[in-house]
Amino acid sequence: MREQASTPGDALATQEGRPAVASRRGRSPRGEGPWAWLAAGSVATSLALLALLLGLLAVRGLGHFWPADVALVTLDDGRQLAGRAVKEAPLPDQEGRERLYRVGNRDLDGDIWEWVALERIQGIARPADLVVLERRRWGEFMGRLVAIESASGERLVGDAAWPALKERLAVLEDARQQIARLRQETLPPLVRRVEGGQASPEERAALASAQAQLAARQAALPGDTLVLKSVGGRSLRQPLTEVVRALQPNDMGPVEKLVSWGQGVWRFLSEGPRAANSAGGVWPAIFGTVLMVVLMSIFVMPFGVLAAVYLNEVAHQGRLIRWVRIGVRNLAGVPSIVYGVFGLGVFVYGIGGRLDTWFFEASLPSPTFGTGGLLWASLTLALLTLPVVIVATEEGLARIPASQREGALALGATRAEMLGRVVLPMTLPAMLTGVILAVARAAGEVAPLMLVGVAKLAPQVPVDGEFPYLHLERKFMHLGHHIFDSAFHGSDVQATLPLIYATALLLVVVILVLNLTAIFLRHYLRGRHGTRPTY
Amino acid sequence: MTVMQHTAHGSRALIDFSPQATSLEVRDFGLRYGDKTALSNLTLRVPRHRVTAFIGPSGCGKSTLLRALNRLHDLNETVTREGSIHLEGQDIHASSMVVAELRRRVGMVFQVPNPFPMSIYDNVAFGLRLQGHLPKRQVDDVVEWALQSAALWDEVKDRLRASAWSLSGGQQQRLVIARTLAVGPEVLLLDEPASALDPISSLKVEELIRNLKSTLTLVLVTHNMQQAARVSDYTAFLQDGELVEYGPTDTLFTNPRLARTENYITGRMA
Amino acid sequence: MSDSASTSPLRRSVRQTRDRMVTALITAGGIGVIVAVMGIGIFLAVEVLPLFWSSDIEMASLWQAQSYQGLESPAHRWQPALLEGDGEPRFGMLPLVWGTLEAAAWSLVMAVPLALGAAAHSALFMSPRLRDRLRPTLELMEAMPGVVIGFIAGLVLAPWLDDHLAFGVVLVLLLPPGLLLAGGLLRRRLPMGWAALWLMPWLLVLWWVASWLAPWLEAWWFNGSLRTWLEVHLGLEYANRNAIIVGMAMGFAVMPSIYALAEDALSGVPANLVEGAEALGATRWQTLWRVVLPAAAPGVFSAVMIGAGRAVGETMIVLMASGNTALMTTNPLDGLRSMAASIAIELPEAAPGGTHYRLLLLAALLLFAFTFLVNTLAEVVRSRLRRRYRRLEGAP
Repeated sequence: MREQASTPGDALATQEGRPAVASRRGRSPRGEGPWAWLAAGSVATSLALLALLLGLLAVRGLGHFWPADVALVTLDDGRQLAGRAVKEAPLPDQEGRERLYRVGNRDLDGDIWEWVALERIQGIARPADLVVLERRRWGEFMGRLVAIESASGERLVGDAAWPALKERLAVLEDARQQIARLRQETLPPLVRRVEGGQASPEERAALASAQAQLAARQAALPGDTLVLKSVGGRSLRQPLTEVVRALQPNDMGPVEKLVSWGQGVWRFLSEGPRAANSAGGVWPAIFGTVLMVVLMSIFVMPFGVLAAVYLNEVAHQGRLIRWVRIGVRNLAGVPSIVYGVFGLGVFVYGIGGRLDTWFFEASLPSPTFGTGGLLWASLTLALLTLPVVIVATEEGLARIPASQREGALALGATRAEMLGRVVLPMTLPAMLTGVILAVARAAGEVAPLMLVGVAKLAPQVPVDGEFPYLHLERKFMHLGHHIFDSAFHGSDVQATLPLIYATALLLVVVILVLNLTAIFLRHYLRGRHGTRPTY
Repeated sequence: MTVMQHTAHGSRALIDFSPQATSLEVRDFGLRYGDKTALSNLTLRVPRHRVTAFIGPSGCGKSTLLRALNRLHDLNETVTREGSIHLEGQDIHASSMVVAELRRRVGMVFQVPNPFPMSIYDNVAFGLRLQGHLPKRQVDDVVEWALQSAALWDEVKDRLRASAWSLSGGQQQRLVIARTLAVGPEVLLLDEPASALDPISSLKVEELIRNLKSTLTLVLVTHNMQQAARVSDYTAFLQDGELVEYGPTDTLFTNPRLARTENYITGRMA
Repeated sequence: MSDSASTSPLRRSVRQTRDRMVTALITAGGIGVIVAVMGIGIFLAVEVLPLFWSSDIEMASLWQAQSYQGLESPAHRWQPALLEGDGEPRFGMLPLVWGTLEAAAWSLVMAVPLALGAAAHSALFMSPRLRDRLRPTLELMEAMPGVVIGFIAGLVLAPWLDDHLAFGVVLVLLLPPGLLLAGGLLRRRLPMGWAALWLMPWLLVLWWVASWLAPWLEAWWFNGSLRTWLEVHLGLEYANRNAIIVGMAMGFAVMPSIYALAEDALSGVPANLVEGAEALGATRWQTLWRVVLPAAAPGVFSAVMIGAGRAVGETMIVLMASGNTALMTTNPLDGLRSMAASIAIELPEAAPGGTHYRLLLLAALLLFAFTFLVNTLAEVVRSRLRRRYRRLEGAP
């Protein structure tokens, strides 16, 4: 038999009455032909692309917070510059390569980038005294700290300056936090009451005292001035109040750098954006995204479950329901922007406009609910994700064995009792899977939000201490839209790029975690219902 | 006591009990799934506090008949029926009959044990709690009584809070019986209750059935001739949706009147 | 004992009433939700209808070339006069439809070979253990938000390709022969079931080869610059953000959903068919080509349809990677503007009830109708296929 297999042509020819068939040459015993390898390659390529994307986001997103060393570059004409290398490229129209340095100091040089041809570089050093300042305006400063002058005229020079700077910066940070609290939490509700003319005398007094307090604190901010000098030799006097953070990266050990990296990540997560979204953190966007998604879940869960229970348990299972079911499934494939259009037309202009004329006439023509806002955004996304929840719940319901329903009915349960006590509790994991998938989808959707309520920059989060605490009509910030906005409407995209990477990484991580949860939940679910109790 | 009737258009059997001794009465009952006839023209009486077995080849309609006795077909919209079924003289399809109450009075145990994914205790208390809020003491008592009646108490009394799905198959089936007993039914329908069990568990369930007939009317569907012979007092033989022969188990098995019955019984028992 | 369980008539009627109320609630709620969701189509249709009898614009003029002030010949233009202020608004829908279809077509060109190859490999060749891991991984790929992909495409891939055009072209051209070569060299040493993993380092090798080959090729064949060569010899101008980049990014986004559905169809082919073919001595690949693929063709077709539906409606990727220039060219290296992107950009600014607003809603209606029809078609095909599989599996 073995021999026959190796020469199939001969073996077959010996069979009586069967015409001889020559075996095709060149077919190896295990040969699948070349095409099978292309198929395998497409899996590998897809995985490689995914890995590339995730890796890029992770490296660039997290790397941004690493306090990399600052190089002091000496050029062949004796000029010096301090900066961090970003990338290299061939020189245009000639041999050799050039390197791009991020040098900061926009206020001194007008640009934060500098291209340097490699052959012009005479030497690269990393002196420990190079200082990197993160500032509220003009971005980073890279150079040397010459002196620190306090308002009273005291002047610290040389080695004493740096410790003094660190110490005063800490004091400043405390004061800033107190001011921020006054400004964001205490003042706005009082101001609104007073402006609305409904304030009681006590409230007026409170406002006055709060304002006085604010003024006092602002006056008490350290009035120090830093005397700085760029490596190119240009001097700069920098008020300390403009400085956010000061580092000497070349003087830091790995542990210090790690700590500083952690602080950077934390600031990114916990602070608001600065300088037209080109710097600072994304806290309001995180908050807005989460709040919107939570509201959406509150809308989508009951309605999705209701519709699924109706479709699967109550409705007459005829042709009509079959078509409705296909229709609902297909709505999951309708582009999200179409839902956005529906949200804008029906919720914002339709219902919102109506609400404004009925209840908020006083503030017209400026709209209250007749413009995009948190409520309409979450309702639109709820509609968008409804099919996801319905389909998942229906699958869960269909997977419950008939014996469980019959068991409940046979004990004298009504349909409502059967559903409430046996069927729905067993469907719970499926519903959760559906909601998690819905949340994952909603968290990444941006297009509909552009129509129904996202804001470039919303200084106030939609939750505060003022009644009714949750402001459904306000616009809000969103991580996805933040990415879009800073990528396309910033003035210097190259400078913002690391922050966009970080934001994108954050969004992707959130969505991946949600999806993984759903996948595990579904896995657990299949395991539980797939294997019935053993006998 | 027993009168067999053989009519020209089909088999029609009647055990002539006094109405006082009859628990369930099926009159000219027929049932169709869409346009497929599952049962036709059935008439029989199920005596109270006895075990009645339905036997017959697969697809003969015995399970269908059993499910009709507590209206489990209500869920299926394609089912149409004719004739009537009476429980203690009351038409079970009458508008005055609440289906949930009917099912409480006519309990049912299925082929594959179907405990709910909750604790043993909660399973048994499930039906009870449907009837309204009861003091915990009372629920405890009923649970214990039901588990004892189902001969399961000694095996589970130390782990009432454990998941019902952790029990063995035989235990699960007795748990399901206990769960049904707890709501105080008058009739217990058993749909091949032992076919998914190993021989020892199966014997335990049979013993339980024999013990229960002092207080309950039992109707048993089974594939297993020996089982029918061992536990039932009366046996009905169904074929192709019709009742062929119905009589005391001893008579039916030892001296069947019709050749069809004999063929089936001997064919299976040989 | 049964007395404890006997029920009072009052309790019974309470339970019954509650049952009726719950059923009524579920019915009302269920129908309400379904109607609300389905209402999207109705809303769009109702809002678009006034266009037909409005005097502002002729419906037919949307689809025909119009002569505009300052243009020599009639042309298709979409310029809703958002910025100009003066001049007439130009509403030619055709460039938007063209852009939408062009973007979708390019993304399918990128996604379909990858997805179908991956589906075929994982349905027939891959080790089951790896396959169980692959599916969720690609599901994660599907969940990747459009805005992130769009950002990478528009801000990272586009500038990179701008600098490394020749390298990119060489890499893509090198991929198929490179993979075939890997199969030829390594197939005896390494198992096919895990090929997807061990081909990854090979891809790195190909990357390196391409980076070495590209400058050399560019210098010899294209006179030092591929871009100039394209412009001079083929007349193709290279726009920084173009249809090809949109196609790559959207192909990446669409590929996992095509893969998942196609894989379902392929692996759902009854095992007895596959075994039958293999018992006759067919190789796996022959089985795939002659038995599995014909049997699963409708499923594969519906997978591609659903992919097309997704590609047509995707907004953020096109918005961020296409340059949003409403052109009608066949040059894949030029920019484009899709309907979805136009809606996202222009609708918040358009006055409700105006012609521009209604035209954008018309675009939304077209998107809705297209995707809904395509998905319904795919779903019907799929359910037919499932029935066929069940029949093929037959009675034991």
